[in-house]
Amino acid sequence: MKRNLIAMLALLVCSVATSALASTGTVLRDEKLYSKPSATAPVSASVRKGASVTILSKQGGWLRVSAGKSTGWIRLLSVRAGAGGLGGAGVGDVVGAATTKSDPSRVVAVAGLRGLNDEQLKQAKFNADEIARMEAQTVSVAQARSFAGQSGLVAAKVPALPAPKPAQSSSPWETQ
Amino acid sequence: MNFKLMIVAVSLLSFGSTAAALDLGKLLEERLNQELNKDKPAQQAPAPAPSTAPAQGAASAPPPAKQKIDPAQLGFALFGDYSLEEENRIGRQISGNLLGAVPLVRDDKLQHYVNLVGQWVAQNSGRKDVTWRFGVLDTEAINAFAAPGGYIFVTKGLYRRLKSEADLAGVLGHEIAHVTQKHHLKVLKQSSLIGALGQVASSKAKESDPMVQNLIGNGAEILARGLDKSAEFEADRVGVVYAARAGYEPWGLPSVLQDLAGLPAGDIRTSLLYKTHPHPADRLAMLGEAVGSRFDAVRGKDPTDRFYRIK
Repeated sequence: MKRNLIAMLALLVCSVATSALASTGTVLRDEKLYSKPSATAPVSASVRKGASVTILSKQGGWLRVSAGKSTGWIRLLSVRAGAGGLGGAGVGDVVGAATTKSDPSRVVAVAGLRGLNDEQLKQAKFNADEIARMEAQTVSVAQARSFAGQSGLVAAKVPALPAPKPAQSSSPWETQ
Repeated sequence: MNFKLMIVAVSLLSFGSTAAALDLGKLLEERLNQELNKDKPAQQAPAPAPSTAPAQGAASAPPPAKQKIDPAQLGFALFGDYSLEEENRIGRQISGNLLGAVPLVRDDKLQHYVNLVGQWVAQNSGRKDVTWRFGVLDTEAINAFAAPGGYIFVTKGLYRRLKSEADLAGVLGHEIAHVTQKHHLKVLKQSSLIGALGQVASSKAKESDPMVQNLIGNGAEILARGLDKSAEFEADRVGVVYAARAGYEPWGLPSVLQDLAGLPAGDIRTSLLYKTHPHPADRLAMLGEAVGSRFDAVRGKDPTDRFYRIK
């Protein structure tokens, strides 16, 4: 009885924390949950594409998540942050438009900040002083190398990533 | 001369397979004629058509057979290669315009730090013929831009969301990839079929370049129009690899995309970003397809202790 109460309390705290931190995620593809942040660790559960997970922590390319009763590590790139399912731009835009219109206080608050829109870019006039300022900040290759060396950054051989196969054939862009 | 005509003829022949391609061939040819006649209106000596030319049929005009074809110009009109000097002029003009819309953050330490990280990542991109320059723009908008010739920008709004140097390296890697893959130059080529830019008109090369401005349209609108979705996905794939090759842990860009995916959709700070880029969730999904388990053995660093934070 007491144990149940504690569990319920923990669940309540958890769900409150979840909504406050917005640490809900949506699984982007059928995936495994591993017991450690490594693909060689034992698999503790499987999650389906579209499933909702709670993101608990992050380590390198891994997220610790809970899905239903299971908890485990999932690849960072297999989860999108935020609720709202798998819908990408389309869903987001609809929600966005609704939010903008129905919540005027929010719009005022954000519009006070200087944004950057396409009309500003279209109207923009060449600023010779600013580009000179930017060019004056250029650092040499030797400076960059020394900067990298200071923190032990070492150039690594990493092969190029292949373009995903589907729907790439008609692309006008060349893969490298 | 004959060799050049052959190129024209063979190119037109290969375009001749479909009606749409023929139109492109015609368009190219008209454009080429226009370009060549602009300088030499009087010299229109007809030249004998090469033997392969008639095969293209009646749909297209005879190949341009004008005097003094500039090989660079011809090469450009057919294959669309800007010279390095032209690329630099185009990038400088776009960047100067962008800076006319929004200036740099007045924080030399910040600008220097971003240049150090950027230069290091860029040196691991393999492209060393351009001068890489980086700037943080003074706007709360969340975005980043690249212009040809190695001009890279990150907004203050985006920089504030970064948690580490690896995050910064990932974002810069994506923008550097736009330059190495020449994405904007390809857009210009597709939209205009314009010829060589000619000499810098103004003796003051530091000022605005009217010929380049004519090519790129109004202000920096080329940056507001955005690129093809597949170019953005490609820049993600190529950019994470640049950051990893520079010795950073490769999860910087994915982490930033995760963060952006969690932002409320109606946020005004991301309106231009979402207009010009696929949704971060779609970018994560595409990048995930490409990465899979390929980075499992990559051991990079993330020197978080020296990450520069904006006051």
